[in-house]
Amino acid sequence: MTEQNSPETRPTPETQEALIDQVTPAPVPENVKILSRREFMTLLIGGGASLVLAATLAQPLDTIVRQAVASGAAPEPGSDPNYHWVMVIDLSKCIGCDYCVWACQATNDTRDDMRWNIRVTDRTAQGVEFHVTRPCLHCAHAPCVSVCPVGATYNRPDGLVVMDYDKCIGCRYCQTACPYGARVFNWEDRQDVNDKAPEWGKPEVERRARGVVEKCTFCIHRIDAGVARGLMPGVDEAATPACVNVCPVTARYFGNLNDPTSTVAQIIKNQPTLRLREDLGTDPNVYYIPPEGLL
Amino acid sequence: MSTATASQETAARQPRRIFGRFSPVFVAWVLALALVFLVGVAAAIYVIANGLGVTNLTNALPWGLWITVDLSAIALGAGAFSLSAAVYLFGMKRFEAIARAAVWVGLTGYTSAMLALFIDIGRPDRFYHPIIYWNVHSVLWEITMCVVLYTTVLMIELVPVLIESTPLHKIGILHRLAHFLHRLMPIVALMGMGLSLLHQSSLGATYGILTARPVWYSPSAPVLFILSAVAAGPALTMSASIIAGWFMRKQLIPTDVLSGVARFVGFAALAYLYLKLWSWAATNYYAHVPEQQLGLELLAENTPYNFTFWFGEVLFGALVPAIFLLWRRTRTNSSVIVLAGFMLIAGLVINRWNVTLSGFVLPLDWSPGVANVFPLNTYEPALVEWLVAIGIVAYSWLAFTLGVRFLKLYPNARDLTVLANPRDSGTAGEEPPATIPPQP
Repeated sequence: MTEQNSPETRPTPETQEALIDQVTPAPVPENVKILSRREFMTLLIGGGASLVLAATLAQPLDTIVRQAVASGAAPEPGSDPNYHWVMVIDLSKCIGCDYCVWACQATNDTRDDMRWNIRVTDRTAQGVEFHVTRPCLHCAHAPCVSVCPVGATYNRPDGLVVMDYDKCIGCRYCQTACPYGARVFNWEDRQDVNDKAPEWGKPEVERRARGVVEKCTFCIHRIDAGVARGLMPGVDEAATPACVNVCPVTARYFGNLNDPTSTVAQIIKNQPTLRLREDLGTDPNVYYIPPEGLL
Repeated sequence: MSTATASQETAARQPRRIFGRFSPVFVAWVLALALVFLVGVAAAIYVIANGLGVTNLTNALPWGLWITVDLSAIALGAGAFSLSAAVYLFGMKRFEAIARAAVWVGLTGYTSAMLALFIDIGRPDRFYHPIIYWNVHSVLWEITMCVVLYTTVLMIELVPVLIESTPLHKIGILHRLAHFLHRLMPIVALMGMGLSLLHQSSLGATYGILTARPVWYSPSAPVLFILSAVAAGPALTMSASIIAGWFMRKQLIPTDVLSGVARFVGFAALAYLYLKLWSWAATNYYAHVPEQQLGLELLAENTPYNFTFWFGEVLFGALVPAIFLLWRRTRTNSSVIVLAGFMLIAGLVINRWNVTLSGFVLPLDWSPGVANVFPLNTYEPALVEWLVAIGIVAYSWLAFTLGVRFLKLYPNARDLTVLANPRDSGTAGEEPPATIPPQP
């Protein structure tokens, strides 16, 4: 194991006494000298030339960076002049029947352990139980959107937070960042039969591939197809999310907040509503009518 | 004199060699590491074939052991930028005796982290997506780009070493290339330092910016990550070099340089400790933010978080090694340096594990009522996760071993066998004479 001792630096027997007594650093090889005056000047001139080059490129670069920044930024909710989709869930009406959960599973083809829309039982400070259902809240300032390294999830101008399954690398940072636990990962290739279909609906979207994250879409396929056919989501069932249609007590409303006459706009204008964890500043697009005793 | 006696005599004088030039310990060590690495490769193939469902990760706790490996590997590679910056930017030329080794350890760490991430993402086939699809708002995107660019910088820094260490230096143009790159080192080191400062802290920000997780959300997280890396990174390079020297019977790094790096690491550990204690005081001792307090109480009741924090991260992970490395009497003892180095490294790994797990163990609280809707999350790595993780560790140790053996990483190395046995001085530094038959 000698490669590192050149013959010049290897101590001879004569020098060993001295080496043992006084540990002197090995002679520094010639090429270690870093910066002579000449090299410094070269660097200086090279640096200057780079600066000139950078200045020339600055304008186009600036444009590129601005575009990149803009592309990732969340559009203002409702920045689409026509549509701003929101959901209202009336907790004072909800009976906890789970129909919305199952209809979602049938329509979007999700398994029990990867539900997009879940129900939990909570209670007020007075001890009165109530049910909370939670789809994706489609936050205007969605933490999942800002953390995604590839921009696979993003805000649409109409308020939806959507997934691009073809970009997603499956890093699961969005799951880590979502304050509501709304995101599920495809841990394996799914072979299961959808046990909620056909009773609660039939799958309307393709199963997602293994290794990508998915979440509630507000049934985006119905919204987009419906709007294209001149239907109004929230009014026409074919264009409305499955969970809204199936609710037996009409605890869920869906519609266009940009239309002041829509049911959702009326409720949000005239009734006290809350949004989940408003303290986090996520600005969700799902509003809840609180049960008695909660506010 | 018969050949047999001659070879016996030579064998008594020379360290034993097999396959012509390697010591049996070296061969056994390399083979063992290669075996463990291959087991890890098999486990990784199993994971890629079957998906991440074979791990114990869940939707509520989607990051685990591999993220800890990844965070630790990047942090422990930080010796490269710290020591390169010391040499090429701050003119502390004597540290060049360790800078190359630090760069090699850095490359080993970064490639290990890339391996861990490659296995950990759901779509390894899309590993390049962050490079073509930019989300400039994402700290993880910034980390990915910095890690890719910085790995490139490390490779550029190693090109001259590679050329000098192999017959390639006999080729004129490559020789000149090595020389040219060597002159560029200050610029390369500057780029490296910029990239490192960016992503080492962003790794802490990965957790620190998440408002929904009260025990993570903290402005000190990025700084704590970079300070711990600046302490533990050079500590790893230093300790590993000392241990390698023990086996090679060489002093790979001159004593005064070792002492200087030890002091630097000691001060970095103190700086880390200082911010860590203030961060703890601000978020735990003085604050009574309900969510955060509840979270910390739950962690204290249900996990070894408090014990590992105070003993693993603070006392034995920073304070004791800082004392060892700053007190002159202990700093000059290479065994103590190694011990302190391992304490810092262990402290860092425990910290990265604690940070990752603490935020996930506590359930999210979004329901508007007062009930505790969700239970605590639990996680214990699956066997296959351990195998992949240990395989990656084996890879990094193997890369370090081979680098030390075959690359000129230590320009100031001294052969200790020469000093210990002056009679052999003429031959100790050379290949064993050809009269020795290769041992089976």
